[in-house]
Amino acid sequence: MMKDFLKGLWSQHPIFRQLLGMCPTLAVTTSAENGIYMGLAVIFVLVFSSLVVALIKKFIPHQVRIAVYTVIIATFVTIVHIFLKAQYPDVSMALGPYVPLIIVNCIILGRCEAFASKHSVSTTLYDALGMGVGFTWGLFILGSIREFFGSGTVLGVAVLGSAYNPLVVMILPAGAFLVLGFLVAIMNGLERWKI
Amino acid sequence: MENLILIFISTVLINNLVLTYFLGICPFLGVSGKLESSFGMGMAVTFVMTLATSISWLIYHFVLLPWNMVFLQYVIFILVIASLVQIVEMFIRKFSSPLYQSLGIYLPLITTNCSILGVAIFMVTRNYHFAEAVVFGFSGGLGFALVLLIMAGIRQELEYADVPGVFKGAALTLIIAGLLSLIFMGFSGLVSS
Amino acid sequence: MKEILKTIAVLTFTCLLCAFFLAFVHSIAKEKIELNEKAKIENAIMKLAPSTREIEQIEHEGQLVYKLFDSQEALIGYAFIAQGQGYQGTIKILTVIDSSLKILEGFEIIDSVETPGLGARITEDTFCNQFKRLAVSPKIVYTKEKVKEKNEIQAITGATVSSKAVVNILNTGIEILRNRLNQ
Repeated sequence: MMKDFLKGLWSQHPIFRQLLGMCPTLAVTTSAENGIYMGLAVIFVLVFSSLVVALIKKFIPHQVRIAVYTVIIATFVTIVHIFLKAQYPDVSMALGPYVPLIIVNCIILGRCEAFASKHSVSTTLYDALGMGVGFTWGLFILGSIREFFGSGTVLGVAVLGSAYNPLVVMILPAGAFLVLGFLVAIMNGLERWKI
Repeated sequence: MENLILIFISTVLINNLVLTYFLGICPFLGVSGKLESSFGMGMAVTFVMTLATSISWLIYHFVLLPWNMVFLQYVIFILVIASLVQIVEMFIRKFSSPLYQSLGIYLPLITTNCSILGVAIFMVTRNYHFAEAVVFGFSGGLGFALVLLIMAGIRQELEYADVPGVFKGAALTLIIAGLLSLIFMGFSGLVSS
Repeated sequence: MKEILKTIAVLTFTCLLCAFFLAFVHSIAKEKIELNEKAKIENAIMKLAPSTREIEQIEHEGQLVYKLFDSQEALIGYAFIAQGQGYQGTIKILTVIDSSLKILEGFEIIDSVETPGLGARITEDTFCNQFKRLAVSPKIVYTKEKVKEKNEIQAITGATVSSKAVVNILNTGIEILRNRLNQ
């Protein structure tokens, strides 16, 4: 059980190892806060869609399974979208179109297809939670680095003072690619030296 | 007409889906190793995207809006895309088997190519007319294909380069994408009102 | 044949179930979402024109205009949402203007997708505050130099296109309002 949870945190990390869900990873991580919100939304959708798929896997005909999974995922994403608009309109505005785009986040469909459709409900729950939490810490790290250099703040609090001239490129799209590229390289290095 | 040209230039070059909205990064990292498969993937995406955007626009404006069912838009859009991908897959399998073999597992993955759903969502939030939506879908796909091809060209050359081990593969691709994104920022002065 | 029927049945059933479920969630949240949007506009108006006590909504050819009254029930100004093309997409601006239509009380960006760090700086106070009590007659002018006239604002360095877009959207919006009220 613990193994199913932990693999998503490190050895099969969705962002750094499997390079899945790149679109929200790069887009919303202009600040650490946004990264956490996106991570929480993904955890919700991932856990519930995986659970539903694990529950009804016996009834789904093989040819249309992807279509059924996608509809289930889209339903949960729409719920998150409606919930955010009703309860947290500011978050909804900050994440913009990337909330509905969770539907096509390959992590979720990938876990439904590769794991939930072949395993029991409880194992699926651990797997989904692990992948979701792993995804969230990845977003948090990426968001923190970009926010620190790009705006001189940590979680919205100014730490570098007004003398610091922000490295705007870090919160531009180009910065997202560069930071993630170096993080992936660092992860490769850690793997190589067996840390 | 001027409007349509503006949308075309801005979507292909200035606000390129891959480099500024990060849409369609997964196939971008996966397929961009070879020129040939990049071309096929780019064309498939352009085709599906143009059709998907047009059909989604019609459904949104003639079914969802009048019947107050806008909250179902994401479910409907993704269904339209999924069925279109099935059709394209059958079509390619029948008429071009080398293309089918080289694209392999990536064709079904077009369904989860965020750029197609992304374009459908943007078309709604930007209140495009039908003609604008069609041009937007087409140029979005073309922009995707363009970046994919540039990337594949660079990566083919890099096969002979001596790259530090830890940067091999995805890390290097991401960094090149970052540099490309910086280069494409240079297009931003192209259109000004 | 039986296989195909089963496939279609499962797919239809899933879609219907999801649609009903979403309709249910939507019906609960709908009011809250509408309230949020209304509150957002009202809060912005109160911030820009603090003496407002009452807001009256009127519709002009499908567009909403808010008439603002103070505690003596005198008309102190108008508010409306102006929108137009920014650098990356549509910008929606809540604009508050005094009753003579000559002085801008200020604006608040309600919706924009400008680049964070560059274009998005149009939402920052240093830029927005320039528009408080700004003369808008005959129209707003932007400059890259120091501000000289009463109707001038300074564009943000590195975000000239977005700054220009805001000025254009405001000018067009005010012009439309003037024409409508004069009719």
